[in-house]
Amino acid sequence: MLLPVFTLKLRHKISPRMVAIGRYDGIHPCLAAATQAGKVFIHNPHTRSQHSSASRAFQSPLESDVSLLNINQAVSCLTAGVLNPELGYDALLVGTQTNLLAYDVYNNSDLFYREVADGTNAIVLGTLGDISSPLAIVGGNCALQGFDHEGNDLFWTVTGDNVHSLALCDFDGDGKKELLVGSEDFDIRVFKEDEIVAEMTETEIITSLCPMDSSRFGYALSNGTVGVYDKTARYWRIKSKNHAMSIHAFDLNSDGVCELITGWSNGKVDARHDRTGEVIFKDNFSCAVAGVLEGDYRMDGRTQLICCSVDGEIRGYLPGTAEMTGNLMDTSVEQDLIRELSQKKQNLLLELRNYEENAKAELSPLSEADGPRGAIPASTTLHTALSVSLGRETQPAHVELCISTSNGKKLCGAGPWGLLCHRGVVLELPWSLSPADTIIRAVLIFAEGIFLGESHVVHPSIHSLSGSVRIPVTPPKDVPVDLHLKTFVGYRSSTQFHVFEMTRQLPRFSMYALSSPDSASEPVSYVSFIIAERAQRVVIWLNQNFLLPEDTNIQNAPFQVCFTSLRNGGQLYIKIKLSGEITINTDDIDLAGDIIQSMAAFFAIEDLQVEADFPVYFEELRKVLVKVDEYHSVHQKLSAEMADNSNLIRSLLVRAEDARLMRDMKTMKNRYMELYDLNKDLLNGYKIRCNNHTELLGNLKAVNQAIQRAGRLRVGKPKNQVIAACRDAIRSNNINTLFRIMRVGTASS
Amino acid sequence: MALHLNRADYLQVGVTSQKTMKLLPASRHRATQKVVIGDHDGVVMCFGMKKGEAVAVFKTLPGQKIARLELGGVLNTPQEKIFIAAGSEIRGFTKRGKQFLSFETNLTESIKAMHISGSDLFLSASYIYNHYCDCKDQHYYLSGDKINDIICLPVEKLPSITPVLACQDRVLRVLQGSDVMYETEVPGPPTVLALHNRNGGNSGEDLLFGTSDGKLGLIQITASKPIHKWEIRNEKKRGGILCVDSFDIVGDGVKDLLVGRDDGVVEVYSFNDANEPVLRFDQMLSESVTSIQGGCVGKEGYDEIVVSTYSGWVTGLTTEPVHKECGPGEEVKINQEMQNKISNLRSELEYLQYKVLQEREKYQQSSQSSNAKSAVPSFSVNDKFTLNKDDASYSLILEVQTAIDNVLIQSDVPIDLLDVDKNSAVVSFSSCDSESNDNFLLATYRCQANTTRLELKIRSIEGQYGMLQAYVTPRIQPKTCQVRQYLIKPLSLHQRTHFIDHDRPMNTLTLTGQFSFAEVHSWVVFCLPEVPEKPPAGECVTFYFQNTFLDTQLESTYRKGEGVFKSDNISTISILKDVLSKEATKRKINLNISYEINEVSVKHTLKLIHPKLEYQLLLAKKVQLIDALKELQVHEGNTNFLIPEYRGILEEADQLQEEYKRQPAHLERLYGMITDLFIDKFKFKGTNVKTKVPLLLEILDSYDQNALIAFFDAA
Repeated sequence: MLLPVFTLKLRHKISPRMVAIGRYDGIHPCLAAATQAGKVFIHNPHTRSQHSSASRAFQSPLESDVSLLNINQAVSCLTAGVLNPELGYDALLVGTQTNLLAYDVYNNSDLFYREVADGTNAIVLGTLGDISSPLAIVGGNCALQGFDHEGNDLFWTVTGDNVHSLALCDFDGDGKKELLVGSEDFDIRVFKEDEIVAEMTETEIITSLCPMDSSRFGYALSNGTVGVYDKTARYWRIKSKNHAMSIHAFDLNSDGVCELITGWSNGKVDARHDRTGEVIFKDNFSCAVAGVLEGDYRMDGRTQLICCSVDGEIRGYLPGTAEMTGNLMDTSVEQDLIRELSQKKQNLLLELRNYEENAKAELSPLSEADGPRGAIPASTTLHTALSVSLGRETQPAHVELCISTSNGKKLCGAGPWGLLCHRGVVLELPWSLSPADTIIRAVLIFAEGIFLGESHVVHPSIHSLSGSVRIPVTPPKDVPVDLHLKTFVGYRSSTQFHVFEMTRQLPRFSMYALSSPDSASEPVSYVSFIIAERAQRVVIWLNQNFLLPEDTNIQNAPFQVCFTSLRNGGQLYIKIKLSGEITINTDDIDLAGDIIQSMAAFFAIEDLQVEADFPVYFEELRKVLVKVDEYHSVHQKLSAEMADNSNLIRSLLVRAEDARLMRDMKTMKNRYMELYDLNKDLLNGYKIRCNNHTELLGNLKAVNQAIQRAGRLRVGKPKNQVIAACRDAIRSNNINTLFRIMRVGTASS
Repeated sequence: MALHLNRADYLQVGVTSQKTMKLLPASRHRATQKVVIGDHDGVVMCFGMKKGEAVAVFKTLPGQKIARLELGGVLNTPQEKIFIAAGSEIRGFTKRGKQFLSFETNLTESIKAMHISGSDLFLSASYIYNHYCDCKDQHYYLSGDKINDIICLPVEKLPSITPVLACQDRVLRVLQGSDVMYETEVPGPPTVLALHNRNGGNSGEDLLFGTSDGKLGLIQITASKPIHKWEIRNEKKRGGILCVDSFDIVGDGVKDLLVGRDDGVVEVYSFNDANEPVLRFDQMLSESVTSIQGGCVGKEGYDEIVVSTYSGWVTGLTTEPVHKECGPGEEVKINQEMQNKISNLRSELEYLQYKVLQEREKYQQSSQSSNAKSAVPSFSVNDKFTLNKDDASYSLILEVQTAIDNVLIQSDVPIDLLDVDKNSAVVSFSSCDSESNDNFLLATYRCQANTTRLELKIRSIEGQYGMLQAYVTPRIQPKTCQVRQYLIKPLSLHQRTHFIDHDRPMNTLTLTGQFSFAEVHSWVVFCLPEVPEKPPAGECVTFYFQNTFLDTQLESTYRKGEGVFKSDNISTISILKDVLSKEATKRKINLNISYEINEVSVKHTLKLIHPKLEYQLLLAKKVQLIDALKELQVHEGNTNFLIPEYRGILEEADQLQEEYKRQPAHLERLYGMITDLFIDKFKFKGTNVKTKVPLLLEILDSYDQNALIAFFDAA
């Protein structure tokens, strides 16, 4: 069993994910971590701290080998590493919501201090693609920025939503690093410099990413999932009710392959095999884990795995030697193996007995007495059907999943309920069900991303049980979803039920209902492009991605189909001309982007240039851009005011203290009253600044998203060109060019 | 000296009940002993360990579920005759497996507990106690509540036969012949009884008991009165006690106390100089420990604790050192016998898998034919739904013999489902449209592999009643699920007690009308937990209850045609009034309800709440300060400049935070109850004060006892 080689207990809290090890003097590894109240502490056990009380760092009053760094703002990310290769030692990088600080710990000086308007949610340090110098890449609100050691902005691009995690990994195996970005819209995007080469959709916010061997990387989600990808294929994932705080790749069993080490919110640390997810080692802290790192903290030439908990406990583990492979855990392997095998045996025996009993029971005819025990005709099958329902007065439009048993009476026939009642069909009352009619007691749907939690339950009341259940489903996003259904089938009086398990896929654009074209409501916004595909192939694509009624028959090109969104009633037209030109009319720019990306994937299109016009959206964007300018100027004005006030404070304080020394209590009191008022003003000013800043961030996010959306309308090279050109236009504050690029894809006419 | 015990799994049989495994006496000191175990399939198995392999001595044919297994024999000789209770029958086997006794007791219910002493046989079904001597009926007693366990003090040491019953209503009943000599209250519903030191101590009167809420105690049952010796509170909130034994595992010459709990914890207590128990060892197994005994099974000369678990595992916790416990880096050799065992198991599995595949195909084929039917394989679910006194919440424990796949929880009353730390299952709450489908809670628990036991915590609100259902689906083919139902009663937070304070100001609710004793009893059962289903003997009965959250009390006395309920909490009376009139209307019984409200009782209840509320407010305030104080501490380096109060908070920070986390929403619950009290007080006066509730909440926000009482008086 693997035991920690050292355990330290620091008397400082550690903020989750904000801990890093660096050799700030080029020799001694030190641990730096963000702690409470906008401070960063540096633990240096190797040399007694020589820091005098200089500008930023001062010695911690609690511990002699810890020095504190005052940031005066809540730290949002932290890392350490080589930023300037000429320097020969590591720099410490600390990000806050507005700034990025690159700090030279050894000389106790700033390397640079840059304002980052988009905030810094995540940071990674290293070389990206062909850019020669190491970059500190920060991810903020929809934007990514890379700085070199002088603080020059060498890399800038946008992504779909707020960035939560970053990692550098050689994704395509070309020897150069690509940037992995995990964001709030559940996507992991891979940037080869500023080109997106891959996108993987996950089921929750991606909170951590870490590179593993070659093209493998680990990821963690905010719902407690951790897993490993190799390129775009997921090897495995597991879900826990706890949250993964930090993940790191480390070869703990010395087999030459890194394991995924996860630190959990309940204090557990586990190491999982990279291919299978099997746990090979675990340990427990008394509280949540703040970070998992590696470093030669004892300076004996061997790298340790270092785990930190939020209350400052630090443990280091040396990798196990090759002989103890597979035996890092406490319990003995063979005992566990025997237990597992015995359990398997017991399960098989139970299953056998079930069949035996079933065979016995089969001989007796189905009788009333079988009700409670839930024996049902063996031929019972379940039917499922997906359809689009336009909704009724009491219920908004939705996708309807209908499940019915083959031998249960249905309360309603096929078709929507409303219709049935109008036709005057008498509904059969539930109590007229004979005992031989099977009922559906409950349906459990496990699906990711479309329900509040991971599951949705339909449990009809005892009075309205029947052989069929209609379940409204409203996926919030246009992604294909697998619905894993578990249906409990039995009788009204049953205490045991059969569980039917099956999986249905919900197509990507299931929330759009086919409707009859109505030229008056045709949206003015459109995208159009030309593809070299036969119309039949497009029809296949339509069938796969939309819920079309069974009798839909689409003739040859040219044709047009019209859909209505179930979410907001918006119209969607897809027209195909003989020439292969496709026009998509919709006011929803995201939807247009989704359709183009889905088509590109289906037809394997590498590059696609698109002409687009979204007048309404562009007008909104124009307003946003104007607002951004306004907020910027307000921000500057407020900052200037604040500087004035702080000067005033200084002089007031001096005068008040003077008065005190002169024993002129009345003047002193007055001065302090003034100071108090000023302080109040400052606090108010601060609040205004905060509001202004949030507004600014919101608008900047909208701008970044607009660029991203314009990019998503194109595929391949045109896509990157659009993003790069948009960015230039924004830099030069040329709004008209920006819209032009978004429309036609290039700046030049 | 720390006690190190190593775990060794011996064998797995079917699902087992409480107290169904025993060790046969050894032929000589510290020689290996044989294990006898009976399971739900009705199989009695006796086996010994030889070179790490379980070797069966005998195994009977399947039959009815075995509820108990005891050893007996002629007094003062080795007790090596095996007795089992299955259904209403007692069977006896010699240690070689020869059946020498089959005794049909003709009890209408199946036997739940059994004790054997020489030729005396003590049995109990749910409510009935019977004493047989040489299989002849001697004595009989009908208990007021369910009998969980039975024992008889050693007849060798005492002049008379003294059987003791552990009854669900928190009472030990000491019998003499067919009559109760006396009763003694214990702190929880007792589930198991055992003689201290296996022989009742020097006097032969020392009796150990364990309760379903995890408490443990020792009582001396003298001829005239009980003497409580010690009691261990369940501070770590561990599971209920299912089995105890006395055995010197530490090896200091004094017998230690071995305890097995329903959450899989095995504990060893030794006794200090003052003869008080001290925890020496605990280990967590993954499922309920149904039986426990100290002895020697695995290897001669090494003492061990042998336990059996719910799913039928017989496991030893042995003092024998594991030879491969060596420093890191040394190669671990899987020894020969282990390897044999594994390869045997593997080949067995292969054969089984093949067979299962065949059967599966057959099953699939049968589904094609139209007149065949598919029966649901039954599996046993071990469940427990109990009220915790400490935090006034219910805990629901579900245990299945195989791994659980998922559990669906559905409730038609508003309840809160709380997270339990030791669960690893992923919870997901589903939205529910309550009007059409009577669902207030729909939640799924998706269990991780190898989870056989799931624990849930539920917080109910008094006055809201209905049913909670759990659909349990294990990981076994063909997939099936089983429903378990649990009632949430109107006065769900009340608990039975035997003594109340008669000096409190009481409100009275009186029912009169044309109803029978059984009817009024059924209403009380409907409203209150821990009341026996069966109407008690006699014409008139009185039950006392205590509110676990507020410590208010309720006295209910009823007979044919009349029921009187007295409580110092006006809300309790109000709930009873509403529920009873609803129930009576449902059954079309004409009820006369009259009530007598004591104004002083409201003030009294508020005074009862006051210390709790004040404590909670203070706790919340302290917890709020912790972070800020810690920051100051970091900044300044020491805490000398702080006032002692703040220094105190810093010192106790961890405990405070722990405590705060342990009782989430405690303050909200108290507020809710005060609001109910306010509304109920005026409901009896005929005024609706719902509009004044916001004002009340405002007063609570800046809490002051006098202001609150004044508000209650003024409104």
